[in-house]
This record gives sequence, structure tokens and C-alpha cells, in this order.
Amino acid sequence: MFAFRSDAESPQRPRELPVGLAARVRPTTPVAGRTMPVPPALRPLFPDGVLRRGTTTTVAGLPGQGATTLALALLSAASQSGSWSAAVGLPDPGVVAVAELGIDLRRVVFVPHPGSGWGEAAGDLLPGVDMVLVRPPGRARQTVARHLSARARERQTALVVLVDHVNDWPEGGDLALSVGAIEWEGVGRGHGYLQGRRAQVRVSGRRSAGRPVECSLWLPAASGGIATAEEKEGPGSPGPGSGPEAA
Amino acid sequence: MDMERLVVVWCPGLQEEGPRGEEARRFVQVVAGAGALCPWVHPVRLGVCALPARGPARFFGGEEVVVQRLVEAVEEDALVGVADGLFAAVLAARSQLIVPPGGTVEFLAPWSVATLARPELAVTLQRLGITTLGRFADLPRAHVSDRFGADAAACHQVARGESGELAGLRDRAIERRLRVARGEDPDVGTEPPPYQPGFFGGASAADTRAALSFARVQERLGVDAVLIGRVQGGRDPADQSTLVPWGSPAAAIDAVAPWPGRLPPPSPTHVLRVPLRVEVVDAAGVACAVSGRGLLNGEPSRLSVDGGPWEPIVAWAGPWTVTERWWSVRRRRARFQVVTADGAARLLCTERAQWWVEALYD
Repeated sequence: MFAFRSDAESPQRPRELPVGLAARVRPTTPVAGRTMPVPPALRPLFPDGVLRRGTTTTVAGLPGQGATTLALALLSAASQSGSWSAAVGLPDPGVVAVAELGIDLRRVVFVPHPGSGWGEAAGDLLPGVDMVLVRPPGRARQTVARHLSARARERQTALVVLVDHVNDWPEGGDLALSVGAIEWEGVGRGHGYLQGRRAQVRVSGRRSAGRPVECSLWLPAASGGIATAEEKEGPGSPGPGSGPEAA
Repeated sequence: MDMERLVVVWCPGLQEEGPRGEEARRFVQVVAGAGALCPWVHPVRLGVCALPARGPARFFGGEEVVVQRLVEAVEEDALVGVADGLFAAVLAARSQLIVPPGGTVEFLAPWSVATLARPELAVTLQRLGITTLGRFADLPRAHVSDRFGADAAACHQVARGESGELAGLRDRAIERRLRVARGEDPDVGTEPPPYQPGFFGGASAADTRAALSFARVQERLGVDAVLIGRVQGGRDPADQSTLVPWGSPAAAIDAVAPWPGRLPPPSPTHVLRVPLRVEVVDAAGVACAVSGRGLLNGEPSRLSVDGGPWEPIVAWAGPWTVTERWWSVRRRRARFQVVTADGAARLLCTERAQWWVEALYD
């Protein structure tokens, strides 16, 4: 019996599960249903170009750096295909910006001021919607973080956590996105208007297959949606077609 | 002592049903009018309806605003008041008062014991020289229940501000009467559907699942904690969009239509409900101001939000001047987009030499 057990501890062992067992254990979850689309500009950041249900993605950036835009953009493609989402703890959300990012306002609810009940509120919403965006009021307690990530996995909901610093989510995410090196275009000293924010987005984390990926994005572009940024172009060029339509 | 804070709408002309029965129909309009403002309006009895005060007050920015909005929303002659507990709130409506939280006992004290709608008790009390609710409240609790019985004890609790509910205060048949007045089947319940009305042809399993989870959060944090966004016309970011409680009739979504005078996209991701004061100065440290002709007196160089540290301004655009509400009070405002050295962009607004942060681009 002990010999058996030590055998089972070898790292290769779990890979030898009978073929198809996973499918039989979860007969109601088709593989296609375990992922959700992300906007085209964000695909390079995600393994297989999709957002997996049940995973936790952290989005880190100091206020003003565009982390909110990135986190909301994550919801947009799935929202347009009919998924429900909820944003907990996002204070005073700009509804027009949310719509410009391509989120269907009919399928997103906001719990902007949950106070100390943010963890419970997110926990309540995880079984009900396809994506939960949560902004903890500061560094999250480990027990709350672990509970929410586990619940997301169990209910096959995508959890997106918006934080100032990646360490503010003690569990770490399956994927960790961070925004930096931002630069606003279109506005000078007394002329123009804000047209787009160029930002570098970097992804790492357990599920990023060990390779950090970085890409340059318009976060947002002049349409209010997001788009891939080419290397240093004029401000008027943020790709009009590649961002979601500002419905 | 934790009585729900309620807003009551009291229509003097609709208290009794007349021979033609039109009062009920008119009251239906009152409930609908108030319902356009807040979804949790419940009829109490003919001519009286109530709604929770806390949520709408937070949403509209104060109980005074809610009262004013209700008076405007209701087409009948309506008196509106706010107090803790239904009994006090009805009296507050009749006297058009907002009774401060915790002020119930003081407010009730001068009212006649007759307001309890217990004629026999009132006569007995008045013979004993106890004419007001305040004097009634002063009687020892044990004496009241021993001498006058359980119903009088309940009245006593109300007078002491310990309870807001009194048997007979609510007309249990009112919902049914209103259904008849609306021309609906009186025996079919009118519980609101568990999903956003008007959203879907029918609720799918996913919609129902989502609705149940929203209801759970509402139970935990209050009905006004779960909001849904809608976009409408308006120049200000705050006017362009609203967040309305999920499940309320106002949550039916309008199309996103273009409107004149708005800033082009991208729009700010955070529209502050309460704008933050900000100081903006030029390189010499002189406060920036916009003249009557929409000209800026100097180049903005630094800003300090809410007394915080000075941050250098690296880029700015504006002013976009807005003259608004010309039909009532003329407000001349100018708006700027400002980027500080850390890369953060803000939408600022200046009015009468005071600058505000209205919105953030995160």
C-alpha cells in the first residue's frame, strides 16, 4: 500500500488518468463552453486567445494608468455575445465609457460601493454571472482571495481582479496583467483633446506558459474601444476598425 | 429602535373612495408616478403610499431632493414627508416635514392620541388627561398593557418611537383594489418578475440565474446596491449616464443616441458622484480662472486635488465653455482635460473661480 502511494506521488502520475475521464466527470460542460472570447487586441495576451472560465485574472495598475479600461475591456467581447457580468467595488463607474468599450449595458450590473461586503457580494455574484470584475478596497485578505478564486473555479466563472499592485491579490492570478508606460495622445498645452492612451500591457502568471508577453495597446483608442497600437504613429491613427464599436 | 426610514406620499383628495370610484384610479397614477422615481413604492392604503428613504436619498443626493422630485413626479396634490417608521412618516407627510433620524419621539409628542385611530382608547386617555402621544408615551409600559390590553400596548410602543407599524395602518386589500382599478385580474399576484422587465423576450436560464444572484446581493447590501447603467443625452458626464437600481422600471435601457455638446470619446471611466475640489495654478502660483469670455488668465502648471500634493500638469486642453440651465439659473462653466506628470488624465470643471475634478480616465 505504501509502495503504491509513493508511486502515485511521482509528478507524471496524474497525466495517466484514463482517457476521457474528465469528460465523464463533467458531462454537462462542453469544452467550447469553458472559454469566453476576448477582444481581438487582447488575444495575444491570452493562451489560445481566449479567457478561460473558472480562472482568476489580475489586472494591476496605479490609478490613472488605464487598469480600469483594460479590466472592463476584458468583459466586452463576452458581453457582446450575451454573457452576464458584474463589477464589484468599481467606484462611480463611467457608464458612457463602459458602453464605448463595447460592453452591453443591459448585461452588466455594478455594485459600486459594497464597503466591507465586497468579498461577500462578489461571492454571491460568481454563481450567477459569467464574469465578475472585482476591485478590492486595498490589499485583499488571503482567505477572501482564496475563497473567491476557488468559488470562481467551482462555478466556472471568470474572475477579474483589479488592483493597484499585483501583490494586492495574495493568491496571485492564473494570469497577471499589468499596465504601464502610458502616454496620452491628442492633447497638448492648451489644444486638442484626449484621443487615445498608448499603454504597454504585460502578462505573466501560472497559466501564461511561463513566457511573459508584452504588447502595445490603445487603452482606449479614439473610438473609446481598445485597439492594438503600432509602434509610434500619429495620434489620429488608433485603429478605427479593430476596437469594439462604440454602440 | 431600528425602524425603516420611509418617505410617505399622502394625497388629501384620495383618502376616501367616492361614489364613482375614480379615486382608486387616480391613486394608481400616483403610485405609478412615484414608481418612476423609485421602484419600491408600496401602497399603504387609499391615498397613501410609502417608499424606503435611504436608497433614493443616497441616489438623488438627499431626502429634500427626493421629496421635491416626488412632488413633481406625482400629478395629484400630494404631501410628502420623511420619518422613521410608517406611523410617524404618515404624520410627517401630512405636515410636510422631514423628521430627522432618531427624532421620532420628539416629533410625535405633540400629536393628539386620536391619531392612533383608536377612538375608545383616545376617549379613555383624554378623560385621564392624557391628550397627546407624548404624555401617553410617558406612561409606564407595564401599566398600559395591564390596564388597556395588548392593542393599546402596541399603540404605546408606536408613541414611544419603538415601532412604526400599527394594526389598521395598512389596508391589506389595497393591492387588490388597485389591481381592479388598473383593470387587471384582481386574483393574480403582481410580484415583480425576478428579472429586468423588458430586457428579454423571456428569461433564459442564464438570465434567471443572474437575477437570483443580484437579488442575493440586494438582500445583503440593500436594493440600491446593485445598479445598472443607462445612457442618455447630456453635456456633462454625470448627465450623460445614470446608474439606476437593478430591477427598477427606470432601468429599461434607452438607445445610446448622439447628442450635441458632449466631449468626443474616449469618455472617462469614473464619473464622480461628488466632485473633488482641486486647485489649479499657473507657473507663478497664481490661481487659474476663466474669464466671462471663456479665456484663461494663465497657463495651468500645477494642480492639487483636495489639498493633496502639487502635481505638475504636462498637457491640458480646453476650455470648453458650457452655459446651462438658461431657463432657470444661468450657470457658466468651463471644462478642461488635464494630464499630470504621472500620466493620469482628469476632467476638470471650473465655475465661479472654483475648480472641481468631475471625472477620471483610468
